[in-house]
Amino acid sequence: MIDLDELKPVVETCNQLMNKMNIEFAGLAIQNKTGPDIRWHYALGNLNDKYKRITVRYGKGIAGKVISSGSPMMIVDFPHNILGKTIDYPIILAEKLISSYAFPLFFNAVPKGVIVVGKRMKYSFSEDEQEIVKEAAHSLEEKLQGFIF
Amino acid sequence: MKPLPSNHQISSYIIQSQEEEIKRIATELHEGVNQNLYSLLTGLKVLETGVIKPHMKMYAREMSQLLEKTIQEMRMLTVELHPPTLTTLGLVAAMKSYCKLYTSTFGILIDLESNGVEKPISELKKISVFRVCQEALANIAKYADTSNAKVVFTWNEEKLHIHIYDFGRGFQINEQQTEHSFFGIAAMKERMLLAGGECIISSKIGEGTSIEIFLPFFESCEGFGET
Repeated sequence: MIDLDELKPVVETCNQLMNKMNIEFAGLAIQNKTGPDIRWHYALGNLNDKYKRITVRYGKGIAGKVISSGSPMMIVDFPHNILGKTIDYPIILAEKLISSYAFPLFFNAVPKGVIVVGKRMKYSFSEDEQEIVKEAAHSLEEKLQGFIF
Repeated sequence: MKPLPSNHQISSYIIQSQEEEIKRIATELHEGVNQNLYSLLTGLKVLETGVIKPHMKMYAREMSQLLEKTIQEMRMLTVELHPPTLTTLGLVAAMKSYCKLYTSTFGILIDLESNGVEKPISELKKISVFRVCQEALANIAKYADTSNAKVVFTWNEEKLHIHIYDFGRGFQINEQQTEHSFFGIAAMKERMLLAGGECIISSKIGEGTSIEIFLPFFESCEGFGET
């Protein structure tokens, strides 16, 4: 698989999300073509390059949970009211996010990626904002189809 | 009548029982559940080769990938619960393996160094030291706001000295921010005391945090037994 961070649609989608939603972070994690690893391919508004070394644990953290369940997930005030322990949420710790919303990316009807947006303050993403992320995810699914398989 | 055991001995007993139980669960998962999952994966791959319909072949492949992810996650879980290398290859090897997993989990680079020849330590002391190191590294991921940390093992004739330090934001030792971090630090110190050693934490705002672990080899202790 080529590096997705070099792909125009990925960069454009994250930029658009940043502009439309007044968020501080946007990132994309996708499962590797070979092997079960899910890693972060692109991030915008990142504080450091930790995301490049992080492999998403299946079922762990916001990204892992969204990929394993295939359903979106929102955190309003990290670390309050989260499932599991704080150390189960590496990208949130690395980027010091307080609120985040994640939406799955499906390829051949299987969740293989996740788009995460976040802020470094307490915040609840409105239905309209959730819809924007959903649309961005669907558009990426179409544009990345050829690169995932 | 025998005198009742001291609080110190009771704490030791509770920790020891907990560790034995954790080890039992990790072994069951690794040697039981995970082996069965491997067998299922092999079987599924064989079945996949015999499937002709493309959509069914794709479905079988998706199933195999899900199973592979589950096996990988199970392996990581068992290593987190109780690293098998701790018993077979020793403390430094187990820490090296844990640091690798830690970097791929949190994105924080760990520079691990070991000076001197590793000495044999009892299983219970080894696991105590390992747990304290794990807690120290977890605290770095949670609070230090840094991309690098260093772990140095120094083995000499009398004791093992481990120095874990980060280049993060540090904190005011006397002003614990959360109850949870306070208990974490207290538990690290207590655990080392029970193992017959010591854990010293120092930190300065803006200059990072340093954790020093000392474990004498020959000092008798009330808690865990010697080798």
